[in-house]
Amino acid sequence: MTTTAQSIEKDLADLWKQGPEENVKGAGLQKVYTTNLVAYASGHDEGYRVEQILNDLAEDHPGRYILIRPAADPTEPALRHYVSGHCFFEEGREKRICCDLVKLVAQKDVIENLYGFTFSLLLPDLPVEFWWPGDLPYNNVFFDKMAEESNRVWVDSSKFKEPIKSIARLSAFWDKRYHPTLLEDLNWVRLKRWRALIAELFDGVWAKYLGHIRQVTIEYGEGSQPTRSFLLACWLAAQLGWKYTGPRFSSYPNQLEFESPEGPVQVLLKPVPVPDPSLDRIFAIGLVTDGVEPGIFTVVRDEDPHCVVVRSEISHKLAFSRTVTFEHLHTNELLHVGLKHLEPDPVWKKTLAFAGTLLEKPDLTQTR
Amino acid sequence: MVTPVLLENPLRQGLFSDRVPPPCSLVIYGASGDLTARKLVPALFDLYQKHLLPTSFSLIGISRSKISDDEFKQRLKESLKKTEPQLSDALWNSFSQNFHYMAGGYDDAKTYQALSKVLDDMDKDNGTAGNRIYYLSTPPEVFEDIISNLGAAGLSKEDKGFSRIVIEKPFGRDLDSAKELNLKVREVFQEHQIYRIDHYLGKETVQNLLVMRFANSIFEPIWDRRHVDHVQITASEELGVGSRAGYYESSGILRDMFQNHLFQVMCLIAMEPPVAYDADAIRNEKLKILKSIRPFDTHALDNWAVRGQYGPGYLEGAKVPGYRQEEGVNPKSITPTYAALKIFLDTWRWHGVPFLLRSGKRLPKRATEVAIQFKEPPNLLFKTNVGGLSPNVLVVRIQPDEGITLKFETKVPGMSMEARTVNMDFSYGSSFAEGTSEAYERLLLDCMLGDATLFIRGDEAEAAWGALMPVLTQWETTEPAGDFPNYEAGSWGPVAADRMLEKPWRKWRRL
Repeated sequence: MTTTAQSIEKDLADLWKQGPEENVKGAGLQKVYTTNLVAYASGHDEGYRVEQILNDLAEDHPGRYILIRPAADPTEPALRHYVSGHCFFEEGREKRICCDLVKLVAQKDVIENLYGFTFSLLLPDLPVEFWWPGDLPYNNVFFDKMAEESNRVWVDSSKFKEPIKSIARLSAFWDKRYHPTLLEDLNWVRLKRWRALIAELFDGVWAKYLGHIRQVTIEYGEGSQPTRSFLLACWLAAQLGWKYTGPRFSSYPNQLEFESPEGPVQVLLKPVPVPDPSLDRIFAIGLVTDGVEPGIFTVVRDEDPHCVVVRSEISHKLAFSRTVTFEHLHTNELLHVGLKHLEPDPVWKKTLAFAGTLLEKPDLTQTR
Repeated sequence: MVTPVLLENPLRQGLFSDRVPPPCSLVIYGASGDLTARKLVPALFDLYQKHLLPTSFSLIGISRSKISDDEFKQRLKESLKKTEPQLSDALWNSFSQNFHYMAGGYDDAKTYQALSKVLDDMDKDNGTAGNRIYYLSTPPEVFEDIISNLGAAGLSKEDKGFSRIVIEKPFGRDLDSAKELNLKVREVFQEHQIYRIDHYLGKETVQNLLVMRFANSIFEPIWDRRHVDHVQITASEELGVGSRAGYYESSGILRDMFQNHLFQVMCLIAMEPPVAYDADAIRNEKLKILKSIRPFDTHALDNWAVRGQYGPGYLEGAKVPGYRQEEGVNPKSITPTYAALKIFLDTWRWHGVPFLLRSGKRLPKRATEVAIQFKEPPNLLFKTNVGGLSPNVLVVRIQPDEGITLKFETKVPGMSMEARTVNMDFSYGSSFAEGTSEAYERLLLDCMLGDATLFIRGDEAEAAWGALMPVLTQWETTEPAGDFPNYEAGSWGPVAADRMLEKPWRKWRRL
């Protein structure tokens, strides 16, 4: 059967008439949509992974999900579709809560022009989130059009093959090219808890030490690109008003020199041996302050893999220590955290702009 | 709201937890009691896990029990483990590192001198910056002792940091005692330092009443006497009096539920739009509603107020005793365990619209909701399956299954023009990933932040008592008419409550 917007809507309607799962006796069904989420997967395996993540997300963010992936074989039809429902029982309620997933599998040349068709499948009056889980594309019409028309685009800078170039490009042209669409980075969402832990070290009476930070050490897993550590350093610099006047980087440096209003600040990005080098993880952060009361502020992963220890010492005396839970967040959990809030994140914007000033200028002729 | 913490610490910007309160010490009176272990400490732990507890935070528990710091902490830990079974020792030790316990009499000046020293030490060693919150989780009989001793020890002064007092309900047991308590507490603390807690206001869905009314423009034009037939506010419980017989015998359902929870919910439904979302603007509007309650006609009180008490019955198939058979209850008790009130508000908006409030114990299920029933269309054009058309009802479910339902008529598919009632349902749980926070979590955080919006002001407490006094007085000085107990456990309350509704189309909702 030819895939048209009408045929998809009809299949969805049929699906809900018969019930998407085995019939549960006596249970009503309630369709709930809070968002539109369009995801692109670059291949079959990624498509499978992305579909799993969408299924996990559906319970927390029921919505119209559209997954697009290229056909594995050029002999396959130009465009195929599959519809499925996702239902769950909400605690204490007899009704099933349901939402739906439309999967589009198309030849690559068809995908390029599939944006209009994709828009026709979106539900009106709900935000449109566009998730691009892989490497940042260059000159990709589908990405460009979706980014122009969505409310927000989710990328993951930990998946960028050339993170320096990609971050520099995003910093340089996102707003010029796609305004008012918001850009979000799942890698930035990963940093949120590290940021919160560092921030809490400087609450209240400890805030006065912020101006005295002279050295920051960020330990990350050896063998991985320290994108996250670099973004964390840029966040500290941007929020604390540190200036960078050194040369621009074409690869991640081990050391960054900043000038704060009160004096120089050195930031070290230090690789440490890890069992799994594919994971770009931060292991410890230390901030050293000078002045009459020198201090050391640390956030370190605990022996208990589910906890981190947040600690400060002032004048060689323990000032504060707190152990808190710290679970690794998977992609579905990162998206879950991100999708909860619709408002722009000015701190991310500021950090990205700051990062752009440290990185080699991108070749903007490559961006249409 | 931009908090002082954010202004001082730019690293807080953009974190969703930027509502972080300043450093402080929390002093809990009655710390060995149930509320501390079951509600307050779990709420603090949730705040801790969400990074919403200030970095410099101390908890000092005070009560008469002679136990050590370690025993105090151990009790709290055991209780917390019931709700947080994964709680590790490292996490608990870190969370409770600045928890302390003091045994002492509430009327003993030495207790307060010792407390003053401990608080000063906390400021010095733990950076709590002279900020103090005193939480009275004791029986109300000792409120005055605690308050006057805090004053005498200079602990209410705000010379170093803030000093706040949180007073648990019941705030007085009648109008006179509420006035007296207000006077007493105001001798020592100023109104901006006083946080009278009603945990209902900390519930997410109660706060959503404000958002629903004042962040949507579609409700306002129909939110008045021209469109609303009546409003029903129900808080039902399937539980009996349980172990609270001592308290309940002297309070009853009116003091336990109406003067505070139900009146507060009614205020949020009925109040005029405040000029701002701040403590005084909202509380001013609530106060106007409480003052507009038409005085109950005590000569024909049965038309306005119905009391009930549960007798033996069945709940979920199991036989349960009547109130008078419960342990600690006087076998001849006339304490009401059920009440229904018909209230008229003498305002332009609500003139002639009854607000029907009911609450009871040992009803078939636990549910709290507000139902706004609209008037029927003036001319019925269509046939319906059964009887006439049903009026539109907007239901705000407060607990459990928080959400909003709109009941409306729709066409039955087919050749004829028949109408049938359907529900359009919004459920909090299914639309928002975020679980709703516990009421105490929100209220403790607000108190630490100095936001009194969700707390009751002294004049509100007095106005609520004032409105209720005619019913309380008559019920406590006269024997109930007819058979008492007058409803079976497991039923929806006494039949007399139905007669109070006046109009044939007004019926108590089956929840």
